[in-house]
Amino acid sequence: MELSRRTLLGGFAAVAGGTLVGCSSGMDTGSTAKKNTTTELTMWCWPGGLGKSVIDDTIAHFPDPKIKYSEIGGDFKQKLVTTFNGGTGIPDITGIKGEDIASLLPQASRFVDLKSVGADSVLGDYLEWKVNQATTLDGKVIGLPIDVGPTGLFYREDIFAAAGLPSDPAKVADQLKTWDDYFAAGVQLKAKNPKALLVWDATDLYDMVVGQGTERYISKDNKFIGDQDHIRKAWDTSVKAMTMKIDGKTPSGSPDWNAGLDQGTIPTHIGAAWVALDIKSAVKTSAGKWRLAPTPSGPANFGGSFLAITKNAADPQKAFDVIKYMLSADNEAKAFADAQIFPSAPAAYDKPELKAADKFFGGQVPIDVFGPAAKAIPVAYQSPYDDSVAAPFHDELKTVQTGSKTSDAAWASAVSKAKAIAKRQGVQ
Amino acid sequence: MTGTATVPAATTAPLTGKGQRPGRRIWSYWRFYLALSPFYVLFAVFGLYPMLSTIVLAFQRWDGLSARRFTGLGNFEFLVQDPTFWTALENTIVLFFMSTVPTLVIALLLAVMLQSAVRFTNVYRIAYFIPNVTSLVAMAIFFSSIFSTNFGLVNAALRSLGIPQQDWLGQPWGIKIAISTMIVWQWVGYNTLIYLAGLQAIPKEQYEAAKVDGAGPVRTLFSITLPQLRPVILFTVVISTIGGLQTFTEPQVMVGNSGGTGQSGMTVVLLFYRTAFLDNDYGYAAAIALSIFLLVLLFTAINWRIFRGRSDDR
Repeated sequence: MELSRRTLLGGFAAVAGGTLVGCSSGMDTGSTAKKNTTTELTMWCWPGGLGKSVIDDTIAHFPDPKIKYSEIGGDFKQKLVTTFNGGTGIPDITGIKGEDIASLLPQASRFVDLKSVGADSVLGDYLEWKVNQATTLDGKVIGLPIDVGPTGLFYREDIFAAAGLPSDPAKVADQLKTWDDYFAAGVQLKAKNPKALLVWDATDLYDMVVGQGTERYISKDNKFIGDQDHIRKAWDTSVKAMTMKIDGKTPSGSPDWNAGLDQGTIPTHIGAAWVALDIKSAVKTSAGKWRLAPTPSGPANFGGSFLAITKNAADPQKAFDVIKYMLSADNEAKAFADAQIFPSAPAAYDKPELKAADKFFGGQVPIDVFGPAAKAIPVAYQSPYDDSVAAPFHDELKTVQTGSKTSDAAWASAVSKAKAIAKRQGVQ
Repeated sequence: MTGTATVPAATTAPLTGKGQRPGRRIWSYWRFYLALSPFYVLFAVFGLYPMLSTIVLAFQRWDGLSARRFTGLGNFEFLVQDPTFWTALENTIVLFFMSTVPTLVIALLLAVMLQSAVRFTNVYRIAYFIPNVTSLVAMAIFFSSIFSTNFGLVNAALRSLGIPQQDWLGQPWGIKIAISTMIVWQWVGYNTLIYLAGLQAIPKEQYEAAKVDGAGPVRTLFSITLPQLRPVILFTVVISTIGGLQTFTEPQVMVGNSGGTGQSGMTVVLLFYRTAFLDNDYGYAAAIALSIFLLVLLFTAINWRIFRGRSDDR
């Protein structure tokens, strides 16, 4: 009856052996992908990733095989990775979020190269820099872009006017051309209205400036370039807003940010087109007083996802026809009307769905700002390790904001941490 | 398979059982083992297997999809050199003390008071326990509103007292106070109930004897209540240690995956989460997970030594 020490150890050994076996089966890199059944075309996306009317229309348009659409909540990438490792139930078509695409490019062998199923004829319809994000260094395209997140300057027209700043969108665009212009306006505003700090959170500006450039932390030949001038410029821009004392230190989406938008203590925000939804849901009294202008010193992009076809797809050609149809300019315009999914195909910007004036922005037409911004976003190479290497810069910039470190000390510490992470990931 | 009733008939050995082979004897109880097995099977699949595979993973490099590569002690080498890990370790231990000590002291005082309260005892018990069954994420969002700078409740209270408002979630110490306040709020009720149960098990005679000997309430607390509660206190300390060293949800929701200003809210488990699921560096994450395991083991051992006491013969 007693469980002796020997039997117990034996049991452990058996389980440990099983573990090793389990590991080795996990080493399959997907080169021998099992094909899905042809009777059904499975598609995964996250809630709100595709417009409802577009999904319904696509399912009706392709009756054979029947499209089975599944909405996957929670951590989408994690669930996709787990399913890939499990080897069964992998969807034919899957969404890939913009922030995950760089880390999935090394896994290109698990996806169908869209060029092999005729994507060449449609790739030109999409924004070049966006297609570039889903293209491997050897030229494979693993995803067709669903949407993009071009940035713009959201500002309170009434507060600008009261401080003697230009308040008309055209004039704001004219005067706030660069970060220096924007900061100068912040100083003028603070002199008239001490409670209104122009920059909501200076650390947010850092990623914007990095996104305005053509290089990030790691170069195409896998070298660490995070210690160079283009990153330092982003760092210094953010620090400048802090030293000019026009930094509200209010992280976007926080309760203080939500309240400050209405109270006028946060008179501007710079963010992707989808931030409009956050602002609209946060404010009550200031609706109609917001306006849009181009981002100072040029647009950046935040977010924007893709549809990809896995190697497990029973009929990759058919799957490509489906995503091509779903992401046509007409359907992207519909998805925008449906769920504010900002189109990745510039032809959609001229459709009536996007040309609508928005009362929230005092009758301004948002696409007039975001459309040109989307087309002007620079192409930049993003390494799979970009996010991990960027983390120390964000962490250290916060210590400058609270005044616990000088800018130079924090920069030195960020660079040395980033180098250690880069080295660990095999970056030179 | 032979049933228990047929075992004696099936063997030629004497019924004393001495000559029976042990394997035979074990098999004769197969029904009992079958009845016991669900727990062990589930534990092996969902507990033991992940634990052992974590140990294996800690010696490998794996991004979640590519082939795994054996790296020996590479992950641990990086671990001891990683400044973020040491920051996280320090934060975890500081947060553990900032939350566990107040939790247990307040819980003990509440339990003693609830023990002597005459009216509405059950109402209080329920009220104190409610935070423990509230959704952690909802609570973290609620607490980050309370501690928000311009429109938070805490700063409103400070302002009304004439004290300047603080940027709670923007300052390293403010983040720690906010997180530990939330942990205290959540766990006081649970520990109070445990202490209350322990208090009710102390024989009334001891208190009566103390009263006869002329001991006041403070003397009674230190000479009778606390020594008698020692095993219960050990239990709560061990449970709080295990929970406290694995703080994750509170900082994650309140200050985000970066750990907030100066990484002040970065705990070891949050670092583990970030490494595994955001950076996709599963091998290193497994090494971090092992370090948490060793940390919990170490602290539990220390607690055990302290609270077991020398006079206690068990």
